[in-house]
Amino acid sequence: MKIGLFIPCYINAVYPEVGVASYKLLKSIGLDVDYPLDQTCCGQPMANAGFEQEAQKLAFRMEEQFQQYDYVVGPSASCVAFVKENHPGILEKAGHVCMNSKKIYDICEFLHDIVKVKELKAEFPHKVSIHNSCHGVRELHLSSPSEMNIPYYSKLRDLLSLVKGIEIFEPKRIDECCGFGGMFAVEEPEVSVCMGQDKVKDHISTGAEYITGADSSCLMHMEGVIKRDNLPIKTIHIVEILASGL
Amino acid sequence: MSTKNDILSAIRSHTGKRYNMPELTLDAITYDDKIAQFSEALEAAGGKAVVLQAGEDVNDVIRRHFPDATRIASNLSGITCATFNPDELADSRELDNTDLSIVEGHFGVAENGAVWITRQVRHKALYFISDSLVLLVDKEALVNNMHEAYKQTENMVYDFGAFISGPSKTADIEQALVFGAHGPVGVLVILK
Amino acid sequence: MSTKHSKAAARFIANRKQEAWHDETLWMVRAKRDKMSHSLPEWERLRELACDIKLYTNSHLDTLLEEFEKNALANGAIVHWAKDAAEHNAIVLNILQQHKAHTLIKSKSMLTEECGMNEFLQEKGYDIIESDLGERILQWMDLHPSHIVMPAIHIKRQEVGEMMERVLGTEKGNADPTYLTHAVRKDMREKFLTADVAMTGANFAVASTGEIVVCTNEGNADMGTSFPPVHIATFGMEKIVPNRESLGVFTRLLARSGTGQPITSYTSHYCNPKEGGEFHIIIVDNGRSDILARPDHIRTLNCIRCGECMNTCPVYRRTGGYSYTYFIPGPIGINLGMLKDPVKYSDNVSACSLCLSCSNVCPVKVDLGEQIYRWRQDLDKIGRASSEKKLMSGGMKFLMERPKLFNTALKFAPLVNKMPRFMVYNGLNAWGKGRELPVFAKESFNEMWKNNKIK
Repeated sequence: MKIGLFIPCYINAVYPEVGVASYKLLKSIGLDVDYPLDQTCCGQPMANAGFEQEAQKLAFRMEEQFQQYDYVVGPSASCVAFVKENHPGILEKAGHVCMNSKKIYDICEFLHDIVKVKELKAEFPHKVSIHNSCHGVRELHLSSPSEMNIPYYSKLRDLLSLVKGIEIFEPKRIDECCGFGGMFAVEEPEVSVCMGQDKVKDHISTGAEYITGADSSCLMHMEGVIKRDNLPIKTIHIVEILASGL
Repeated sequence: MSTKNDILSAIRSHTGKRYNMPELTLDAITYDDKIAQFSEALEAAGGKAVVLQAGEDVNDVIRRHFPDATRIASNLSGITCATFNPDELADSRELDNTDLSIVEGHFGVAENGAVWITRQVRHKALYFISDSLVLLVDKEALVNNMHEAYKQTENMVYDFGAFISGPSKTADIEQALVFGAHGPVGVLVILK
Repeated sequence: MSTKHSKAAARFIANRKQEAWHDETLWMVRAKRDKMSHSLPEWERLRELACDIKLYTNSHLDTLLEEFEKNALANGAIVHWAKDAAEHNAIVLNILQQHKAHTLIKSKSMLTEECGMNEFLQEKGYDIIESDLGERILQWMDLHPSHIVMPAIHIKRQEVGEMMERVLGTEKGNADPTYLTHAVRKDMREKFLTADVAMTGANFAVASTGEIVVCTNEGNADMGTSFPPVHIATFGMEKIVPNRESLGVFTRLLARSGTGQPITSYTSHYCNPKEGGEFHIIIVDNGRSDILARPDHIRTLNCIRCGECMNTCPVYRRTGGYSYTYFIPGPIGINLGMLKDPVKYSDNVSACSLCLSCSNVCPVKVDLGEQIYRWRQDLDKIGRASSEKKLMSGGMKFLMERPKLFNTALKFAPLVNKMPRFMVYNGLNAWGKGRELPVFAKESFNEMWKNNKIK
């Protein structure tokens, strides 16, 4: 199977190491991974701000870029969820049937459900608190949403459990929003900051050294809060932990 | 009349896809010990349930629980501890300052501690106005959940009916729980 | 790009202590609700059934309302139909006039709030008495509800105590909730006994029996209707349920969702007028039939007004009900406001991070978050899109559609990291409020890949 690595715009620009770790991790388990060059953005920021039409060309572009691949895999649950949930509707308006939505996976979901990894070489002797991101939980079903009466599960916890030396925690409000929300962060800055501070505090109260999760966007938001307030915790994308030592 | 027709025609012209009524099938919760569950749920709701023991007189139980009650209303024939028959009052307002009312319920609901009553007294106010309320319920007449409860009411005819689960309560000031907002401060269910 | 909501939210959050209390208190209600929902293995099935019943009822309102009316008439009730708020208020006024009534005692009703009924009748000289404790407190303070189930949740006990010292002569400095509640109980008892007409809303109206069902914890609806000869019950037409059997589903969901109780203290069924009295029922449209024509938003009619979407909403909890411009706040209020008047109420659409917790928590599966997303797509069409947001979005689109330009921009982006602090974190930069900006990497992933650095 051929995997096209989906590297969203802000990972490309701000967190290239997350992309690198994703590539190495997939490669290390013997998968055929490629990166279609010159990717930009899936269009989510515009759509969430109310300009879904502005995502149409970008959706088409992604369709072309990933046409030859069996799977599209990316290290950003929210962007993946947007392609999966919203690209079909956006493309339908232009008479196109979205192909990516059927083959796109968040990298954790892919490792957990498709590759079904049972062991990793990774070692990370630290305490981590899992950040269950809204779209990861409520759109991609990476863990059981706290609102629903279904048995607890967490694909992130399952994967992290394969890492040697790690101690895993989760915040009290297990999947409360960190307040990023794309343009929400700048349209309602006071609320967004307040949510971010509350969320980081909740993670800190677990005693963890790191906040980790499948969404660099949430991690980016919380990192902004941590740096501004000099808080005693760091952020790290889950693939960087899973790929540690590679 | 024209308003009604206007509304109905607006509804008709705006209604799109018509959905079917679903079949109300589900595995609703049931309890091995309905009395225990009922008592626990009622207590959580601020009330109390007691089971009448063999040979025990219901009037003694009531007296024991409400030693200070002086104005006690009931129209039930076996309730000798009542001090007056509320049905003899012409005006429901005269029920004000009643310490205790004793009434019968049809059945109790284990999942939430509620008792189903239909108006069996002259003034519906009796169920709400006294400081304390005693509900007499047959202990064999407990149902598991609200689905079973509504099944029981299917053929009942009433002008007023209510599920009563514990005393009147409020948390409108800072979410602090207070009993006796307007109605009874205490509710005792006697399962006999 | 700030909206009325974001500005009001900033004011609410400025009092961080009160904000934290509000957030924590409502989160506790959410936690109680979780405990309740987890106590029923069939919870998700109940939600499914509730949603399906509502989809049925809201697509059969014509036949169900007629069935309800027929049965209510047979029960001896008098049934009125109101197209809008004005008709609704006129009907109530007319009933009061017919009975030469002066005081109307009412239980909590978001519908009368929607119709502005209290103000309308008060202007005509009627004495309107709210009997729900929270509503009564608000009435004394001349305020409107900030939450649809816990209307006075934003008011501290000291404020209530001070107000009651003035209106009821309670002890100075006594802010004990039990003491204050019982002071109101005493005062209200007299009002119950002497009111001319009673009014209630309805949580459910049962088509097959013509009865209406009112759920309260305080028993105020029951006390209110126990003495006056006339009872007026008013309900928005989406409150119809087909039969008593379906009440099994809704009564199990309502209080568990709204307050974390297995059922409200009182679930009261009103069938007939009392002996020698009158039972008036008002069926209200006021825009509801228009919603039927909007398939994207039709599920808002599923709403049973439990208020749990407010308790779970991270934005509502931190900003309070008054930061919204529609009388119903929170996720359901954002949507209902847009359905009522999108131009007037578009300021609330920003109050959402699209976390979708509301959609998951809703007992009748209203797709609240998804609908807010859809409303955002409409803002530009109605001329209510923020010009700054539009510019930012357009700029991003321009850049992202041009990979070469994007890649070039990324090459120069690290320069931003070195910009003087006052330029990066100035008043124009909303991100800079409370957060440091992300630092651009020296080399983008795309560049690294091109240069064969990723192996």
